[in-house]
Formats: sequence, C-alpha cells, structure tokens
Amino acid sequence: MADSRVSIDRLFHALGDPTRRSMVEKLSAGPMSASSLAAPLDITLTAVVQHLKVLEECGLVRTEKLGRVRTCSLDPAGLSILDQWIKSCRSLWEERFDRLGEMLAEPEDTK
Amino acid sequence: MPEPTVIHNTFVIERSYPTLLEQVFAAFANPARKRRWYAESERHVVEQFEMDFQIGGYERARYRMGDTTPFPGVPLTNVGVFHDIVPGERIVSSSTMSLGDKRVSVSLVTVELLPTDTGTDLIFTHQAAFFEGSGGPQMREQGWQHLFERLARELAH
Repeated sequence: MADSRVSIDRLFHALGDPTRRSMVEKLSAGPMSASSLAAPLDITLTAVVQHLKVLEECGLVRTEKLGRVRTCSLDPAGLSILDQWIKSCRSLWEERFDRLGEMLAEPEDTK
Repeated sequence: MPEPTVIHNTFVIERSYPTLLEQVFAAFANPARKRRWYAESERHVVEQFEMDFQIGGYERARYRMGDTTPFPGVPLTNVGVFHDIVPGERIVSSSTMSLGDKRVSVSLVTVELLPTDTGTDLIFTHQAAFFEGSGGPQMREQGWQHLFERLARELAH
C-alpha cells in the first residue's frame, strides 16, 4: 500500500540538497550523461552517482548504464504525480463534507 | 523492467455534525439532497447525476471540468453501485472514475454514521486502486509545477 507521507518525506530529503536540485533542473531539459551533469557542478563523478542514487530512490530520476556511459533522465511517471492525484481525491471529499455541513446547517424551511 | 502500475491508497475522513442522524442519513439517501453537497461544485458543471439508493442500485454522474481544473472541458464520469445499506448506520459502495475515456481509479467507499450527544459523527473510508498513466501529460506538468511550488514553500521556512 502506498504511503504518501513516506514518499513526500523522501522527496523533500532528495530535493533539500541544492546540488540535487540543480541536477533535477538540468535534467528537466532532457536526458544527460552522469559526467555531463558533474562538469558544470564542479563535483566528481562519484559524487554525482551518490546524488543520483538518492534521486532514483524517490522515483524522480531514472538512470541506465550502457557500456561506460550512465544516462540519466527525469522519470516521467514520478511518484509525485500519483501522490498529487490521491491528494486531489482526498481534497475533493473534504470539500464535499464541508458542503454537507453547510447544507445540514440550513434552517428547515429553506430545504 | 516492468514496474507495478497500480497504486493502492486508503484515507479516512471524520466529521462531527450538530445535526440529527436521520437528517444526515437523508443527505446521503435522497438524490436531490445528495446532489447539492456531493455533485454540485464551483469547479465543474454537473451534466448528469442519478442515484438509485438501494442495494444493487447504481449511481451515475458526469461532470464537465471547469477552467480552474487541470482539465478544462474534459468530462469526468463516475459509475457506482451500492453494496450494503443499513439505514441510519452505514452505506458501502464502489465506483469507477474516468477522465475522458481513460479509467483513473476504482474505489470502495464506506460511510458510517454514529449518533452522539451533540448530533452525528461521520466516518468516511475511501480505499482505491489508482492507475498508472492516469491524468496524462497535463497532469504530469501540473504535478511537477505543483511539486516545486510546494517544495519552495517548505524550504522557505
């Protein structure tokens, strides 16, 4: 069973780091190799791979190693999307029960 | 590698209303009453709402999404059936939700009503299977935007 709160916490941990945010921002323009990600950030490839692991774990990024090149891309599915959907479903019902409360509070003769 | 494409989710909403239980139950059982709080919304136009409130009876609704939603002009369809009704106590139903012709979710919904000194307690349990790919590319964009906005707010603290 999906635990929305756990995934949101992991997401915030992942994106709480400025280097990882930079990486996600760069990847939003299209897939890149891990070494292309490392260069402008002035960090080692090892460091990039560590960050990628964290991003992969929360479903934001997907990586594939072909030969010596690790290609990284934003995961199009993304945990967050279904979380959004589930949250809107819940909000929808919260609004309905708000409206129910308002309707029930109306005086008898207006029904 | 194929990944699971169904996400299961359960949430519970509890409310207390300062209203007699019979009236709260009537808000669920009477189609005209139910339409007012359940179907009508500022965010969409109700094109269809029918409810046959009995075990085995269907509830059908179709809404045309409005401009403030991620899917303006798209029809959202709910088809539900009542499985268990104990008057004054509980209502159990299941329903499907589709956006356009894309099935988004199937849910099991339980409404329980309990009389209290001040009125009625409502316990609403929603258990659903949400399908991968539901919402399409617009939902994804909205989802990313919304996510980054939320993150920005969170990090501003």
